[in-house]
Amino acid sequence: MQENKQHLLENLLNDTSFKNWVYKKNRNDIAFWNNWIANNAEYIDTIYAARDIVIGIRFNKSELSEDFINDKLDNVIKKNTDSTIDNGAKSNKKIELIYATSVLLSGIILFFAANFFTATSEVIHKTGFGEIIDLKLPDGTTVVLNGNSELKYNKDNSRDVVLNGEAYFKVKSKPSTKAKFWVTTQDLKVEVFGTHFNVNTRNKKTDVLLDEGSISLLLENGNSTKMQPGEIVTYSKESDKIVHNKVNSNIKYTHWIDGTYIFNNVTLLEVMQYIENAYGIASEFKNPNTKNIVITGGIPNENLTICIMALEKASGVTIQKQNNKLLIIEN
Amino acid sequence: MLDNKEHILWSLFLEGDKNAFSAIFKMHYSSLYNYGIKICGNTHLVEDVLQSFFINLFENRKRIGEVSNVKGYIFISYRRALFAYLKKESIFTEIKNDTHNRSNFEISPEEIHINQDFSSVQKETISKILNTLAPREREVIYLKYYSELETNEISNIMDISYQSVLNTLQKAFTKLRKEVENAVLTAILKKK
Repeated sequence: MQENKQHLLENLLNDTSFKNWVYKKNRNDIAFWNNWIANNAEYIDTIYAARDIVIGIRFNKSELSEDFINDKLDNVIKKNTDSTIDNGAKSNKKIELIYATSVLLSGIILFFAANFFTATSEVIHKTGFGEIIDLKLPDGTTVVLNGNSELKYNKDNSRDVVLNGEAYFKVKSKPSTKAKFWVTTQDLKVEVFGTHFNVNTRNKKTDVLLDEGSISLLLENGNSTKMQPGEIVTYSKESDKIVHNKVNSNIKYTHWIDGTYIFNNVTLLEVMQYIENAYGIASEFKNPNTKNIVITGGIPNENLTICIMALEKASGVTIQKQNNKLLIIEN
Repeated sequence: MLDNKEHILWSLFLEGDKNAFSAIFKMHYSSLYNYGIKICGNTHLVEDVLQSFFINLFENRKRIGEVSNVKGYIFISYRRALFAYLKKESIFTEIKNDTHNRSNFEISPEEIHINQDFSSVQKETISKILNTLAPREREVIYLKYYSELETNEISNIMDISYQSVLNTLQKAFTKLRKEVENAVLTAILKKK
């Protein structure tokens, strides 16, 4: 415990987000650390010690007068001239200096240019309809990006990603630095230490399904909520409604992992919307009553044809592909 | 960026640029002077040591190896020069008990910055608490918050581990937290 605290103290003092909390600078960081403290009460002393150390003690500084310093400088320069610099070498020195300065200057320009490019270099992974890709982020996190989805992050920080669409995350935990992982959607921000979860931003809401570990959600309205494994939370900025549910056979949810879409108590209408989002192909229900058929089970998702065949079996309808549309016909 | 500017100055200085040397001199003279007074309490001695320190720095610039932190480097070599001088001097003058001469990082109430709402009595309380720390512990506090050096630079300058710098800082604030009301403590803590 004592060792943990020492370790934590060191990490806190080197953590920019913690400094932001101390100086109340960044809304996300403030919310994160408030939440962290609420959940780690045993470390409260260490947190306060770290805060004190960051803020520090203020001293009245006595500065020497400029005249005094200049006087001392003159004395030193005089002594230097006597002993070291001979005039013959001076002109050579000047050329050397100009050369050194120009080398330095180009170095600085390069440095800024490099900085500029890395600062603005965003990495974007985009999938087309029906395309699923496995990503490995620079920090070791694996992401499975569903069809018609986009994942963005800054090259320097792959632990702060923006998601549009759907993705399954296996976040690599960083116990040594306790570095967080963030997924931002239009509705909320998922805050993670290291865990497995699914995020779906389709249909003007964000669903988060947590398989393993623990995460916090920072909602667009400023509130935050913690999730337990096996829980699914749906939040929409538009309606400002949040729904918590335990994943079990009674509730309705959609999940996908390892090549399978998992539907539980989901109507065929919703399944077809899901298919449309992932594969970009719309559906038409020839018989409106088939919209309400409830589906439970896994549907393989490698390709649309296999997916449709499995859906036909699960729902007892016939699905025909016609003019880039899926026609759903009662058997 | 400040760091970068410092490194450019440093490279120019190593090339023998006098303007760069002057800039470095002006940048650090005050804080080295104050630090020296904290160590030995003798203004004339500090002025002498600083003069020879800067002359040597310029003369020996070609022998200076790679420096990752200019301020840290200057503090380390200055501290070494000052202690070498003090040691030599104490042999010649045979001052056995030189603690009389040294201020040992006593922190006076006047040095503590505090909002005007609080009385000078409270400044005294705070300086008293800080002065119950060992001299080397006070030196850590001084280097961190007066000289504004980083923790790893302090560990290099004082030749102690990073961990013991942290422990000292923690110890100081634990003492302050125990003995000073929160409101007073908040008043002496820096605001950014």
